[in-house]
Amino acid sequence: MAAEEATPFENETAARRERQIVAFSLGTETYGVDIASVREIIPIQKIVSVPRAPVFVEGIINLRGRVIPVLDLRKHFGFEQKKGDPNQRIVLVEAGTGSIGVIVDAVSSVLRIPEDSVEPPATVIVGPEVEYIQGIAKVDDGLIVLLDLTKIISEVERRTLKDADLRSAVVQ
Amino acid sequence: MAQLNKSPEYAQDLKLLLAEVTELLAATEENLVELEKAPSDTSLIQEVFRVMHTIKGGAATLGLQDAVDVSHSMEALLDEVRSGGRVLTRPLMDSLFSVVDYLEEWSSALSAKREPPSCRKLLGRIRALKDEGDGETKDEVLISKIDSAIQQGKNVFCLKVRFGTDVPLLSVRCFQILTVIEESVEVIGSVPSLEQIESDQVKDVLEIYFSADDNGEEARGIAQKSQDVKEATVARYRARARKNEAAHSKESSEAPVVKRSDLGKTVRVDVGLLDFLMNMVGELVIDRTRLSQIAAQLMRDGETSGTGNEVSSLASHLQRTSTELQEGIMEARLLPLKSIFSKFPRMMRDLSQRCGKEILFDMTGESTELDRTVLEAIDDPLIHILRNAVDHGVEMPEERAAKGKPPKGRVTLSAWHEENQVLVRVEDDGAGIDGEKLKKAAIRRGIVTEEAAAKMTEKEAVEMIFLPGFSTTEVATEVSGRGVGMDVVRVNLEKVNGQVKVKTKVDSGTQVTMRLPLTLAIMRALLVKCGESVFAIPTSSVEEVVSMGGISVGSVQGKRVMNFRGRVVPVVSLEGALRESMWSTSGHKYALLTRTNDQSLALCVDDLIGEEEIVVKEMGRLLSRLKGIAGATILAQGDPAIILDVNRVI
Repeated sequence: MAAEEATPFENETAARRERQIVAFSLGTETYGVDIASVREIIPIQKIVSVPRAPVFVEGIINLRGRVIPVLDLRKHFGFEQKKGDPNQRIVLVEAGTGSIGVIVDAVSSVLRIPEDSVEPPATVIVGPEVEYIQGIAKVDDGLIVLLDLTKIISEVERRTLKDADLRSAVVQ
Repeated sequence: MAQLNKSPEYAQDLKLLLAEVTELLAATEENLVELEKAPSDTSLIQEVFRVMHTIKGGAATLGLQDAVDVSHSMEALLDEVRSGGRVLTRPLMDSLFSVVDYLEEWSSALSAKREPPSCRKLLGRIRALKDEGDGETKDEVLISKIDSAIQQGKNVFCLKVRFGTDVPLLSVRCFQILTVIEESVEVIGSVPSLEQIESDQVKDVLEIYFSADDNGEEARGIAQKSQDVKEATVARYRARARKNEAAHSKESSEAPVVKRSDLGKTVRVDVGLLDFLMNMVGELVIDRTRLSQIAAQLMRDGETSGTGNEVSSLASHLQRTSTELQEGIMEARLLPLKSIFSKFPRMMRDLSQRCGKEILFDMTGESTELDRTVLEAIDDPLIHILRNAVDHGVEMPEERAAKGKPPKGRVTLSAWHEENQVLVRVEDDGAGIDGEKLKKAAIRRGIVTEEAAAKMTEKEAVEMIFLPGFSTTEVATEVSGRGVGMDVVRVNLEKVNGQVKVKTKVDSGTQVTMRLPLTLAIMRALLVKCGESVFAIPTSSVEEVVSMGGISVGSVQGKRVMNFRGRVVPVVSLEGALRESMWSTSGHKYALLTRTNDQSLALCVDDLIGEEEIVVKEMGRLLSRLKGIAGATILAQGDPAIILDVNRVI
């Protein structure tokens, strides 16, 4: 009896086993982030630079009265700078301690990706990037690198705060 | 129990203290957990130390001896850790946790008006720790060596060698066995250690820890055959169970229940909540402005069907309500200084009695109102400063008589408004601070070199009291003198954009003045232009703005200076300082003479935009710790701008 009931249930979860991602391009690659971690996608707007901030911090923006730091993923990944492209967007991510914006070249679409098309990162990539790469998804027109933006941000935060601590220790 | 039935003020103070202790302990518990992971993190040790110090001070004020004793003994141990004289061992960590547990229990007992638990057992344990001192420390080193050997997959054994009674030259025997064993297996360490054996600290049992590939039988055989050995046994050594982990998981599931039932009766408004409400109002204000614009647009477009009118009247109603809401929340953040001043007379009385000094204590300006955050930030600093005034400032009656001063010392605490700031001053007519003594202490501690000290002015020497860990009192008293104090004062004040200055004269007294912003959420700021950027600088830290036109910039010892009304002031280009680029003279129209901690500095800017009321916004954790950057704001036309902390720009 248990076996009879289990079958339709399994089918249902198999159908549901997919991720919804926001796909965006950066350089020549297509990346994806889990839709649940994205708060909002806004067009590029005036970014005010912050002195003494880490290099990949592009600056701050005014989002309806809130001040939000914006990171440049191109700088973070070591790509060339790109400015003034109207397709550029800021992806706002909830990062535990507040929202943080991430500049991307263009947001292409929201995709549903079946879970079984996602390869774990370790089989494809090695190196420190593996930390914030959730997997590689195979889609019709190529590969999508699934990123964990929250991890990137917390890594950046950790490093920045550590630097600040070192600096203040030197001052003392 | 008698101490629980005192005046209503006492009850009020006790309640405040217990609420503070609860807050501090919660943070400490987290810090301890972190510390256990990173035992070499001195900032964490410092933090825990400060908490113990604060609790000790608070409890001493109210005469709560148990908590004073516990926190004092812990503070003493931590001080040794801080100065490198003691390793943060696991037993020490355990007792730190027990201290937190005890204080939690103690505070919830007092809140419930129950008799607090006895601290005698805990004190005994801490004392034992302190007494064991070195031996215990080395044990821990050995254990960590063993642990790491086990982690490397080695088989670790403990060989117990028991000697007969009255063995002559026992230490030589121990040494021999140790040497022989070392030849056949890899020895990790021994109890007593080699150093202890060499200094003749031996017992009739010698434990040797070693790693070997066999079952350790070979080493046992060697030991058994040695002279004077009564018995030799060997056993496999297994990694120590981490008992505090289990204890913690238990605590975390039980502790919150206790807290909820005991604290349910008090409502302390979290400053974070007020901040949040303030931010929400800020967003509301922006929506309000948008709505007004839409209404105006509708009217212009000739929308006459009533919708335009409706939107427009809605917008103006929203305008009124949101303005009132904004004012209400701002007001909720203001508190009279009385709320922290009221406990001081009692504290001063107790302190002066304990020190055997006679002191007249006066307070003025208690009704002056300050932002909650600022108020909370100055509470601890004020306690420190007042304690210093009693302990280090006012002299003993005989000494005062010898100096021809009235036998009763005088300490005054006053507060008043000045422009849009509040000044709080503690003044005593005591011994003052002797710059020369400070220099000597600083040299002894290796804080400055003798040459540097010789070059110091009296004022610069006095400034050294703000250095971390600086204290000239050799013996720590229950009241003060551990070098926690003035550095905490400065750090706390800088967090809320305040400043502290010390004026002192030997034998006539000391004056400590705190300059504080009225509110943190909203401040007046000068907007300046540097290159492409606009920066906001709190008006409170700018003394004067001068046009660069009539000023000549010279150079002294390679540093840019300008002559400003007979004063020689260092000149720095603000943009140059922030972007770490070279000085450029072009384009600077104005110089801001800043009022930093006792030091003048002229910051050159390209242009002045004006003065504005700005709302201070958080930039998030990522950008929270940049040197010289206090936060951000949103300017009237909608662009964000950085708020600078001129105290720390250079």
